[in-house]
Amino acid sequence: MTSAQPLCHADEIAEGEARGFGPLEGYRRKIVVLRHNGTLHAWLDACPHYPGGTPMAWKTDAYLNGEKTHIACHSHGALFDMETGECVLGPCLGQQLTRIALTMSDEGEIFVTAAQEEKRA
Amino acid sequence: MNIIGPDYLVFGVDDVAASIEYLTAFGLKPVDVTDKGGLFEALDGTGIIIRHKSDPTLPPPLPTSNMLRQQVYGVRANEDLDAIEAELSKDRRVTRLADGSVETKDDHGFELKFQVSKRRELNMPAEKINAPGAPAQRKPNEIGVWEEMPAAPRSLSHVVLFVPDIEIATNFYCGRLGFVITDVLKGAGPFLRPKANDDHHTLFFIRTPEYMKGCEHLAFHMGGPTELMVAGTRFVKKGYQSFWGPGRHKFGSNWFWYFNSPLGCHFEYDADMDKHDDEWIAREAPMGAEASQIVLFEMREKWAPGGPPPGAKP
Repeated sequence: MTSAQPLCHADEIAEGEARGFGPLEGYRRKIVVLRHNGTLHAWLDACPHYPGGTPMAWKTDAYLNGEKTHIACHSHGALFDMETGECVLGPCLGQQLTRIALTMSDEGEIFVTAAQEEKRA
Repeated sequence: MNIIGPDYLVFGVDDVAASIEYLTAFGLKPVDVTDKGGLFEALDGTGIIIRHKSDPTLPPPLPTSNMLRQQVYGVRANEDLDAIEAELSKDRRVTRLADGSVETKDDHGFELKFQVSKRRELNMPAEKINAPGAPAQRKPNEIGVWEEMPAAPRSLSHVVLFVPDIEIATNFYCGRLGFVITDVLKGAGPFLRPKANDDHHTLFFIRTPEYMKGCEHLAFHMGGPTELMVAGTRFVKKGYQSFWGPGRHKFGSNWFWYFNSPLGCHFEYDADMDKHDDEWIAREAPMGAEASQIVLFEMREKWAPGGPPPGAKP
């Protein structure tokens, strides 16, 4: 079954910021939402370095590298492109984060649709 | 060569403020720390040194993205530094610094420094337990846990390196510096202890591709498994991210709890590691979940059963 689960208002995520939500129903890990060049992107908080994926922050909502140019996995320092989710440096070079589709209400609330268990990264 | 173990690990980080926050929350004490970084020490004076990755006073970076810049090993005496200098200068550049310490590189290009150890001798009890059949370790009325009990890292225990060639790494540390193999996880690598330390390991290698070369994790000894779990629980409650644990390893018997960090590697609390001498014969086990731990737990929020189910008649 699918149902929309609210995350927050789009305005609550400023340019260059990331936040973690969940874990939500149907997802084995948190969902990372970030805003880059004005656009919101959402990724499963699961570094593809190990099977099943491991959580990437070093602290609550701390998902970006020091320069705030990439998503960073703070297990082994892998860096991911914020727009494509591709690993550009580190142990899982060339692999990708799992993208999560977002929907937005007319009022600007953002939601994820809790589908069946999401596909493996 | 009486090498004791790592005195300091030096990192060139991309976020100094985040690293300062992290190391302090982990339980290390800032010693000479400014907004440019500095030394964070455990109770015995061993610890972590951080600077911004652009700081010119840092040793050069690895060719990978790993932030480890140098392993600083403590030795017993000046004669040990002389012996290390004599041995390693046979085939590489070795620099004697003004304070007598010795700098060089290992065969994988990891920066090394050797110094007369700056660690302070600790004199404090281990965690005490009571069990039927054994003399009580805690006296009558001596309680085991309390909410504000101290749980501070006591000493820098070990460092684990990602290396592309186990044989090259082992030959260097055992053949040139006198480390001993205590156990081997086949498919990963060996556990090593230096001559002047009876801990099961101060160094462990994991074989990886060249582009991952660097520090996988480092660990600090705690006073016992209870301190480890108390420190880890407090760390999680502050929002820091658990990676693996708490649990207890098989090889080394040490309790463990690993966390993500802004230093590009894991930080581990460990406790109650085995001790070995030269009589010990190294064991082997294939790398995997079974060999890695005797027990593994995952933290959950505090909870208690109690009373009748909700809505039941009193």
